[in-house]
Amino acid sequence: MADSTQTTDPARPSLRRILPWWLMVAIALTELGSHALVRSRVPDDSDWEAAAAFVDEHFEDGDMIGVGPDWADPLLRLHLGQRIDLAIAGASDLAPFERYWELSIRGQPSRWRPEGEEALVEQFGRVAVRRWDLGPSPVRFDLTSNLQQAKVSQGPRPCTWRNRAVTGGGLGRGPLEPAARHFCGPQSWLFVGETVNEDLELLPRHCIWQHPVAGQPVTTTYEGIPLGDRLVLYAGLYSEHERMEEHPPVRVRVEVDGEPVGEMIHRDGDGWKRIEAAMPDQPRGDVSIVVEADAPHLRTLCWAATTREGERR
Amino acid sequence: MRPRIGWRDHTLGFVLGLAYVVLLFVTAGDIAMSRDEGFYVRAGEDYARWFSDFAEDASAASSPEGVEAGWSFNHEHPALIKSLFALSWLAHEKYELYPTDSLAFRFPAMVMGGLLLWLIYIFGARVFGRRAGIFAALSFALIPRVFYHAHLNAFDVPIVLMVTLAVYAYWRALRSRWWVIGFGLIYGLALATKHNAWILPGIFLIHFTWMCLGIRADRRRGRTVSARISVRPWWMISMAILGPAIFIASWPWLWHDTLPRIGWYIRFHTSHEYYNMEYFGRNYFRPPFPISFPFVMTLFTVPLTTLALGVYGLVQRGRAMLPLRLGEKLAPESDVTPDTSRTDVLLVGCLLAPLVVIALPSSPIFGGTKHWITAYPFLCLYAGLGFYKVATIFRQRAGRKLPFARHLAPTFAAALLLSPAALETMHSHPFGLSHYTAIAGGVPGAADHGMNRQFWGFTTGSVLPFLKEAMPDGGTVYLNDTTPGAWAMLRRDGLIPDNLRPSYDLARSDYVLVHHEKHFAEVDHQAWVAFGSTAPVHVLTYDGVPIVTIYENPRRR
Repeated sequence: MADSTQTTDPARPSLRRILPWWLMVAIALTELGSHALVRSRVPDDSDWEAAAAFVDEHFEDGDMIGVGPDWADPLLRLHLGQRIDLAIAGASDLAPFERYWELSIRGQPSRWRPEGEEALVEQFGRVAVRRWDLGPSPVRFDLTSNLQQAKVSQGPRPCTWRNRAVTGGGLGRGPLEPAARHFCGPQSWLFVGETVNEDLELLPRHCIWQHPVAGQPVTTTYEGIPLGDRLVLYAGLYSEHERMEEHPPVRVRVEVDGEPVGEMIHRDGDGWKRIEAAMPDQPRGDVSIVVEADAPHLRTLCWAATTREGERR
Repeated sequence: MRPRIGWRDHTLGFVLGLAYVVLLFVTAGDIAMSRDEGFYVRAGEDYARWFSDFAEDASAASSPEGVEAGWSFNHEHPALIKSLFALSWLAHEKYELYPTDSLAFRFPAMVMGGLLLWLIYIFGARVFGRRAGIFAALSFALIPRVFYHAHLNAFDVPIVLMVTLAVYAYWRALRSRWWVIGFGLIYGLALATKHNAWILPGIFLIHFTWMCLGIRADRRRGRTVSARISVRPWWMISMAILGPAIFIASWPWLWHDTLPRIGWYIRFHTSHEYYNMEYFGRNYFRPPFPISFPFVMTLFTVPLTTLALGVYGLVQRGRAMLPLRLGEKLAPESDVTPDTSRTDVLLVGCLLAPLVVIALPSSPIFGGTKHWITAYPFLCLYAGLGFYKVATIFRQRAGRKLPFARHLAPTFAAALLLSPAALETMHSHPFGLSHYTAIAGGVPGAADHGMNRQFWGFTTGSVLPFLKEAMPDGGTVYLNDTTPGAWAMLRRDGLIPDNLRPSYDLARSDYVLVHHEKHFAEVDHQAWVAFGSTAPVHVLTYDGVPIVTIYENPRRR
């Protein structure tokens, strides 16, 4: 076969003949140049530090911070983690927040980038900082962040608020049982507590773990809270318990003063699902989140809810 | 005429291989042990004990109980390569051959990486000429993920060697009776290396049928057919007799309950569990898997210049892969003709088959590029041919203008066309599996596309300086994807002190590692809840992309 590759024509090469050589040279040089270009576009630590210092200095209560692209999230939290609590890191939407900060590299938007014009744009080396002023939050009460004041029962039996050292965790273990939670028992996973769930898209969701039990409802009740005009409820299961789409559904019912006002049937594959329940025309009331399942095995339900009034302009 | 390969060629191949082994040897310390290596270390130590027992009392060691004690661990893979690890370990125990324990286990596979370069050179030189052969060997050595795998005590580079050697032996066996026997032996060794060898008989059968039909057509058309070519399938008989015999003989676990155990081994791999793999932002964990996966990953991880030369080489030989009449019809002006052995069909079959097997929607995608790495020597052979062709053009051009430069032209061309691969490979170390080439946009571009960032937890090695500094008085670390065995090897190698211990309780660990793979996100979230903060204390990045994030238990503050 080597014979068929030998060149016998010593004449001046035509353009067509020399083209492959120059094409390969161009590809090699392009590859070398691309390598240099990719490396030159990597932000320095000092860019991140300067951008973070700026945001930190101007940060206010009710602010939310995000990063684009998503994969830079650990770097955002490395530099601004002190400003990013579970409610920000595991947000379901932007409603609880009044301003949105975005740190962006490579010209990529963050997942939460709002529509409309930025109120501020600053560039720190290769890190861009933008801020959107969202206006007053419509949220009247955040059920997720105020669990301690709720009463929890498993059927007729009340659950007790307990605090202990956190243990466990690891791959395939699902949301971590928090230190403080309403313990229902007898199994360790039968509690109602604030945690972070990995949803079907593997995104963090700050939520209340409320695992159903067989034959009786698990109820979390907030007494006399501001109702607004609607309650927005999100719920989902730990990704590994939902993704095979092989388990029966979970029901999540919203009640006000004991009367049902909304219900979500969460089926495997629904992911982080949202419903809105209209509130009765009264300023305050007792809001209950009731979780039930006919077959509660691996129904690791976690929900997040807020009552809201009006729409943001 | 094919070039006559002599001792000078083998000397050159040997030097190439030796240089690669030296390079692997001196850079291995930068790469911490990966998940699978930890299992093979344990298997190697079990086997080593069995070899010692066998030397003392062969009968007892060969009994069902003796075999069970030595060979039951990790019996999902054959024993040949792990036996080499074991022998190397025994030699190290006796003579302290290596500077570290991990090198004792890794060295045999490194040597096989060196032998592979030697083989690619010889194969390439015989098929496409010496320049093509040497370029093929170098371009294979300079595929970043090959360079990573060549460091490990695993089967991936050894099976590339055995598959390539089996193909070479089969090709030689078409013309030589001695090689018929050699082929059977080598195929048995390939079976004893890894199950990738299962697909070879299918490739050989297709090629052999094609070749026989081609020879018949040649004879009808009066083309010269080498008298040494045999159209009797002696190779098949050799393979069928020697292959299984060597496979069983080399694996004591099969010496008892042979057929049920072979059945178990086959079933294990034909019904393998599915792993998680991120591909264009989606975490795949069950079939159907995307057909494009092996092709896109090859495009994103093999240096572009190597790929382009490979494609150019394939195009050059395109007509030789077609039936004679069809080739004449489609490319009447081409003077490329198939050789009697239909070597191009064989090489292209070996290039495509591993990719096609993984592309099947039902095939689990569970380990990235290493599962079709056996295709790469054949890709590189065509890259070698592509190089030969373009370097010849350059040589003529340069020689016409600068006659004195004529002899330097091929060297200059090789240096230029290998430089992207060399640069990418150098830059990939020690992040091997996290590396993506320019066509993916590099590492950040691949992260933008949502490609898998690593697997096997080997990047723990790159955060050891941080952990040692953070815990001068010792402490515990939740290791995420790094196995306790891999961590233990870091300790045996003296890279971490004894008082840094692995922890299985994330929430009670002093530090928590998160290896950034999409489906490990829950570990991040658990650390936030456990430690009451989303702020890590350290993020290991590669070209600005997070690879490992570390959280600190607040009780240490």
